[in-house]
Amino acid sequence: MSENPAVPQRPTAPGGPLRPESDEPAPAGLRPPSGTRAPGGRRGVPAPPGRRRARLTDPRTYVRAVGVVLPLAFPFYLDRFWLQAGLFAMAAAIGAIGINLLTGATGQLSMGHAFFLAVGAYGYCVFAADGGDGLTGLGLPTWLAAVLAVLVAGVAGGLFSPISGRLSGAYLGIATLALVFIGQHVMFNAHDLTGGANGRDVPPLNLFGLTFDDRELVVADVPFGSAEKLWYAGLLALLVGAQFARGVLRGRPGRAMNAIRDHRIAAGVLGVPVARHRAAVFVLSSMYAGLAGVLLALVFQRTVPDYFGITLSLDYLAMIVIGGLGSVSGAVAGAVFVSLLPQLLTRYSDALPFISAPGTGGIAPGEAARFLYGAAVVLVVLFLPGGLARVAARRRVRTEPGEQ
Amino acid sequence: MNRTYGARAAAGALAALLVLAGCSSKAKDDGGGDKAAGGVKTGEGISGKTITLGALTDLTGVYATLGKSVTQAQQLYVKQLNAAGGVCGYKVALTVRDHGYDPQKAVAGYTELEPKVLGFAQFIGSPFVAAVKNRIDGQDKDLVLPQAWSSALLGSSYIRVIGSTYDIETINAVDFLINKKGLKKGDKIGHVYFEGDYGESALVGSKHIAQEAGLTVVEQKIKPTDNDMTAQVAALKQAGVKAIVISAGPRQAASLVGVAAAGGFDVPVIGNNSAFAPQLLATQAGPALMKNYYVASPSLPIGADTPEAKKLVADYKAAYPSDALDNGIVAGWTAASAFGEALKKACANKDLTREGVDKALLTIDSFDIGFGTVQNFTDPAAPSSRESVILQPDKNATGGMKVVQEAAVSKEAEAYTPQA
Amino acid sequence: MSTLAEILLNGLSLGSVYALIALGFVVIFRATEVVNFAHASLLLAGGYITATLHDDIGFWPALLAGIAGAALVGAAVEFLVMRRYRGSDHSVLAIVTIGVDILLTTELTRRIGTDVIPLGDPWGDAVLRLGPVSLAHTRIAAFVAAVLLIGAFLLAFRYTSWGVAMRAAAESSETAALMGVRLGRVSLSAWAVAGGLAAVAALFLTVFPTPGLERATSLAALKAFPAAILGGLDSTTGALVGGLLVGVTESLATGYQSDLTFLGRGLGDLAPYLVMVAILLIRPAGLFGTKELARV
Repeated sequence: MSENPAVPQRPTAPGGPLRPESDEPAPAGLRPPSGTRAPGGRRGVPAPPGRRRARLTDPRTYVRAVGVVLPLAFPFYLDRFWLQAGLFAMAAAIGAIGINLLTGATGQLSMGHAFFLAVGAYGYCVFAADGGDGLTGLGLPTWLAAVLAVLVAGVAGGLFSPISGRLSGAYLGIATLALVFIGQHVMFNAHDLTGGANGRDVPPLNLFGLTFDDRELVVADVPFGSAEKLWYAGLLALLVGAQFARGVLRGRPGRAMNAIRDHRIAAGVLGVPVARHRAAVFVLSSMYAGLAGVLLALVFQRTVPDYFGITLSLDYLAMIVIGGLGSVSGAVAGAVFVSLLPQLLTRYSDALPFISAPGTGGIAPGEAARFLYGAAVVLVVLFLPGGLARVAARRRVRTEPGEQ
Repeated sequence: MNRTYGARAAAGALAALLVLAGCSSKAKDDGGGDKAAGGVKTGEGISGKTITLGALTDLTGVYATLGKSVTQAQQLYVKQLNAAGGVCGYKVALTVRDHGYDPQKAVAGYTELEPKVLGFAQFIGSPFVAAVKNRIDGQDKDLVLPQAWSSALLGSSYIRVIGSTYDIETINAVDFLINKKGLKKGDKIGHVYFEGDYGESALVGSKHIAQEAGLTVVEQKIKPTDNDMTAQVAALKQAGVKAIVISAGPRQAASLVGVAAAGGFDVPVIGNNSAFAPQLLATQAGPALMKNYYVASPSLPIGADTPEAKKLVADYKAAYPSDALDNGIVAGWTAASAFGEALKKACANKDLTREGVDKALLTIDSFDIGFGTVQNFTDPAAPSSRESVILQPDKNATGGMKVVQEAAVSKEAEAYTPQA
Repeated sequence: MSTLAEILLNGLSLGSVYALIALGFVVIFRATEVVNFAHASLLLAGGYITATLHDDIGFWPALLAGIAGAALVGAAVEFLVMRRYRGSDHSVLAIVTIGVDILLTTELTRRIGTDVIPLGDPWGDAVLRLGPVSLAHTRIAAFVAAVLLIGAFLLAFRYTSWGVAMRAAAESSETAALMGVRLGRVSLSAWAVAGGLAAVAALFLTVFPTPGLERATSLAALKAFPAAILGGLDSTTGALVGGLLVGVTESLATGYQSDLTFLGRGLGDLAPYLVMVAILLIRPAGLFGTKELARV
């Protein structure tokens, strides 16, 4: 134990000082699943009129509205590099929400997230491709292919339940690591499905007659290529994904998940169906990874096996730790940080004093990004428990004392 | 949730936005494009008096050894080109982005540089080149010279592989074993190869010549993380192979040759050009490498006995005194020279647009920079050369390699059609 | 037959190197319940110190310096990072070690650059021949070192006060703390010991049949994860058995690659993980691991 020996810390201390932050303050006690809705549950409960008016005068409403609307404008102004970086961040955010449900909210360490991303990405290609390039392709409508790919990722998560249901902690973490190795082996060897080392082309998404490819479409004088069009698809996927996860975390399942994280046995004694919840969260998390995989594939326009390695899995864990464990906003913040940091450093390496240009010796931008990224993981855990999202959450708690 | 208010606000803002978008700098303005300066047509990648080229390299990942040498050689080339007056009065600049062999960074690097550069003098990692291939062939049409010798990259007018591809190189390598090392019909050869594009491309070559020459290939696939070749050597010994081809990294080659030598398994081993690094000669595997190991290379080694090679060595040493001399320098120099040559031709044709440079390269049919092989860029479906030089590690040679067989094409390689 | 013997012997000797790495995981896990993903970088640090010093001070002093250096790095990680964490979630600490690993590995690979540095060991590429079977001296040395070190640990765990403190901490940290065990010291020493072990493992990973230390050396630590898990994360015997099992599996999967082509070639890396998953299905705590007790 690395803690102060004088204060033995129970691994289960509820509400310990550094408990991962969830979007909503957790209820003080664990609620038996007797069928009564928790008073804090917001879904379906109409907001009282007073509160509605308060919302109109509350500046945060407008901040939030701008936060939603502003990204809609980006494709009109930003060039492809930034849009693509943003899309990578969106895909990462969706994936990070998934792993935050599993690792952050339920306490199940998973290092196999990259595998489920790969299932989504390659699944989409297999369902959507028409087999013209000699690889397996079912030629389904692309929207259906995307849905099926997400479902297949969920099924893959379900198939792993004999392992994920029995193990926890470090054992589960390293067992899921096996998935990454198995996945890479399949990606390199199942040539008909995956195209081998050079990967396979990703058929562009086609929705309501609009194809998300590079054929230019001019909107308000701005040429729209694939990045501009996908931007909106990505935003939509992220919003839906985030809202759904928020619902899960705030509702009864979320409480049950937190209970399992805080004390599995106590949760079981209190009547939470632990095994079922753990399996369900694993499946849900895999589906989020699958969705992220589909989006990534669409952005990359080609899936390559090198991407879905162990580093990617570790990146996702770093995202949720940096952003904040157990919350949707934390996952999004962490994903944005981890995906954009290396790109910013590389792009502006010429302007940053301590970074040398590539090929001249000294600290290369790639190395600087690794240093900052590693340091961020360590420093956030030590000095900013709860992650980046906690900073915002703290303010909210202060300004909304009467929430519960 | 404040759905209604949010929705209304969003709708209003969106309307405002669409109006504003007209003022976006991204909005299309007519009349852009090619401008004529001094009678020379120019396009993307040229602004003011500078031609910008891109280099997507790996300085921090698994191919860092290659990436560093290639990049430094290309920076040296650009420096010398500018010192000699540049091209058409333009200075050439090389913008380098390190992707660390990460697909996301590689694709991001391409997206960032593509609008700013005329073409890419370097792009490491054939899976990444493949990832942006549709964009290059479809709308970008920029000349890309990958530092990857995969036959999967052939067939594009814009992505041009320089030198023989791995499959052809392997055919030449096995041909050397047949002609010089007494390999004959009915013999078995072992092939230890990396999982992935490089190894599998080489395997196609060894299987091809094995079929032509009546040999049997015993396959051993490995991963870049495998550093100990003991089990592979045991398996190949058991199979009774008479020679071994290795298409992996320098470490694996050193381990393989070392283990085979130490176990008294005395067969010749030949590797592709990526399967050697001069640093290995200082390790314990050094003596064994010098005895039993050969390397097939698309050009003469850096320590070749030609005036051009000697000048490159001297200049490189002056510019980067502490860095090792290896064949990555030759590869980088060759690619940069080919790009430079295409630029000069395009300048003579008064067309420095991407299209003009692509066309200029297609007219270069006997390009020789003094490293033994002659490059012919007129056929996009074929590599620029089918020749290989056979080298042997030698501690006393510059760059650790000496030539045992000058550039040559085997008849099997001549007749072979790479599968794109 | 001789091939099978050779493959098995090589597997065992390779496995003993994995066992050394796995033992490092086990020591830290026993003391702190944290899976140390930074082990790879400790390994690289130890190897780097040995590799850069052996020319000047000779091999054995350099090895000792490497062991001491890696132990110091391990202790520093514990003291500067792990100890400062005030939470209780061991998964979070495991992720922190990933951050530490990134920091250390980035700096070390930056220093190593593109070099391949030999370690200057006395065994060279000498080989012992037993009839048709040959075995490298380095591998025999690795096997002997692994058995000696693991034996020493078993004894230390049983008979020294440090071992008693360690076992008490592993059993129940609260009780141990109440009984006067200084958990901080136990944890610090565990990290130092793991660092030292990693340096020894680094030695055997970079000598013959491998050419030397280079930036990718630390990746071998990935193979020790299945070793530590399938033996049982809290069992020293498990580390030895798990390491040997992983080594033999990998060796067999590689040596008989041609007979396993229906699974795709290049199974060597994957096989240990498949064996691990199979064992975990039957014994969720590994072969020798303690079953998790339900304490409410």
